[in-house]
Amino acid sequence: MMKFTFNKKALLAGFAMTALSVGSQANDAKNLDELLNQLAQGQIAQTEQNKAREAQFVARKSEQDALLKQAVNQRDNQIKLSTELEGQFQDNELALANQTEALNKRLGELKELFGVLQQVAGDTKSKFQNSVISAQISGRDSFLDDFAQSMGSTSKLASIEEIEQLWFELQREMTQSGKIASFEREIVLADGTRTTANVKRVGSFNLVANGKYLEYISETDAVAELVRQPVNRYLDSAKELTNTSNGQVAFALDPTGGSILSLLIQAPSDRERVDQGGPVGYVIIAIGLVGLLIAIERFISLFLIGAKVNRQLKAAKPRDDNPLGRVLKVKEQYPNADTETLELKLSESILREVPKLQSRLTIIKIISVVAPLIGLLGTVTGMINTFQAITLFGTGDPKLMAGGISQALVTTVLGLVVAIPMVFISTLLNTRSKGIINILQQQSAGIIANRSEKGA
Amino acid sequence: MILFIDMMNSIREFLDTGGQVLTVIAAVIALMWLLIFERLAFVLFGYRAMKNNIVNRWFAREERRSWNAEQIRMATVSKASSALNHNIALIQSLVVLCPLLGLLGTVTGMIEVFDVMAISGSGNARSMASGVSRATIPTMAGMVGSLSGVFMVTYFQRYAKRQTELLEDKLLMQH
Repeated sequence: MMKFTFNKKALLAGFAMTALSVGSQANDAKNLDELLNQLAQGQIAQTEQNKAREAQFVARKSEQDALLKQAVNQRDNQIKLSTELEGQFQDNELALANQTEALNKRLGELKELFGVLQQVAGDTKSKFQNSVISAQISGRDSFLDDFAQSMGSTSKLASIEEIEQLWFELQREMTQSGKIASFEREIVLADGTRTTANVKRVGSFNLVANGKYLEYISETDAVAELVRQPVNRYLDSAKELTNTSNGQVAFALDPTGGSILSLLIQAPSDRERVDQGGPVGYVIIAIGLVGLLIAIERFISLFLIGAKVNRQLKAAKPRDDNPLGRVLKVKEQYPNADTETLELKLSESILREVPKLQSRLTIIKIISVVAPLIGLLGTVTGMINTFQAITLFGTGDPKLMAGGISQALVTTVLGLVVAIPMVFISTLLNTRSKGIINILQQQSAGIIANRSEKGA
Repeated sequence: MILFIDMMNSIREFLDTGGQVLTVIAAVIALMWLLIFERLAFVLFGYRAMKNNIVNRWFAREERRSWNAEQIRMATVSKASSALNHNIALIQSLVVLCPLLGLLGTVTGMIEVFDVMAISGSGNARSMASGVSRATIPTMAGMVGSLSGVFMVTYFQRYAKRQTELLEDKLLMQH
């Protein structure tokens, strides 16, 4: 069997060599005949080589036999050693089991106690990591860590001092959580700078400094100002707390010990919200700004015209700087006209004034109608995005759909935010311009009649 | 006093659950009812004196048949009509604004619901409840506000129209 493998290997090696030599010679061959010639020569050389190898193998065979004998000897020795060691191991095992049993018997109820101590130490450690009291008293958890580890290993026993230390830490946490403490500490402000500030701690609930809420980050043992603070009403109570040293103050505390406050950071700001609206949102904002500018211009000019018309109503002489004055001048321009002609001339001059008073008011009206429509457009495009996300990723993850949905909703909001003031403004402007037109249309003739009667 | 503080607290809580939009709606409704009360005061007390004054002045005229008289009559009626219609358009636009603001509240509330969904990643009904209440309370408030105003506005419009016609009938011309 062994011989056969040897032969096979030799054959394989020979074949590989032929292939190599043919490969190198084939490069020099000028034509096919020459190549064939070279191949034949190569075969002769190969057979010679193979014969030489076979002779070599036969010569080494006795050497291999000696090696084999040596290996078998070695194996027998090792087997003997192994059985010896196995016996020893079993003896040891037995002794160990006896010793452990004895230990357990002697430990008795202490074993349970150590288990409880380990569990309590672990629980307390994780509790201390989340507690804001650690901001005031640092380095408590390293002791607990060591303690829990030593309780976990069987080789070490807890000393009375260590157990009392655990009790002390638990009691201290409990006592401190009922107090409002004030201490100096380095804090990280919202812009990243570090300063030392007087921090007030409310039980185990909140940290407050300079009227701002703080959070305790256990990983870096740092106290940082919350990037986004709660609404002013709560901030005022925090400010009050920082400013008073004793006496009672109302304070808005986060009963979860900071986790509700930390969620504030995840809510997007107004700016980010507007950005969610996408291009449609920006178009709505642009339209709203245009409407606002027009409205401001109209408000100012209508206010000025209204004031001038009011002054004209009281004044005796018609003046050229206001619509009513220009209409009243018609009477002076045609002193000899009869009543019907005068009426025609009056209505003609009124018709000249009306477009000036009502110009651009339609644009505001249109904006108030169009803005919600564009918002609707944004809603539909947002929903298209959402459904695209659904076709790609399925409905499994609501987070993937959130982008499209927020675009849909934000554009609707923007549309309404623009439309609502525009409706209000357009009503105000319309009332004002209609008031002036009313004076022109229905009262100008009356005023003229009144004056002519008084003059007569 | 304690009752008052209690009341203020519950109102504040209601406004908090409704969100910022509810505050705006409250302001709009307050403004609307302020204007409505001003109108009511005018209808009940101001207008009667004004009408008597106009009618007396008209009949104090010696001459009530010329073109001049006709124009003066028209001017008087239009002045009275504009006094009657004062602020009504504004009230009406506020009535229209209320449901629009309610809709705004609905959408902002829905945004909050989807924010919660995006953060928590699941449809936890309890965590979405605050958003849902912010979506529904403003809608309700907007509806209630506009309904409360609609009746008054219609009444004022009809009153102004009727009184204008009555005044026109009263100021008779001599033929």
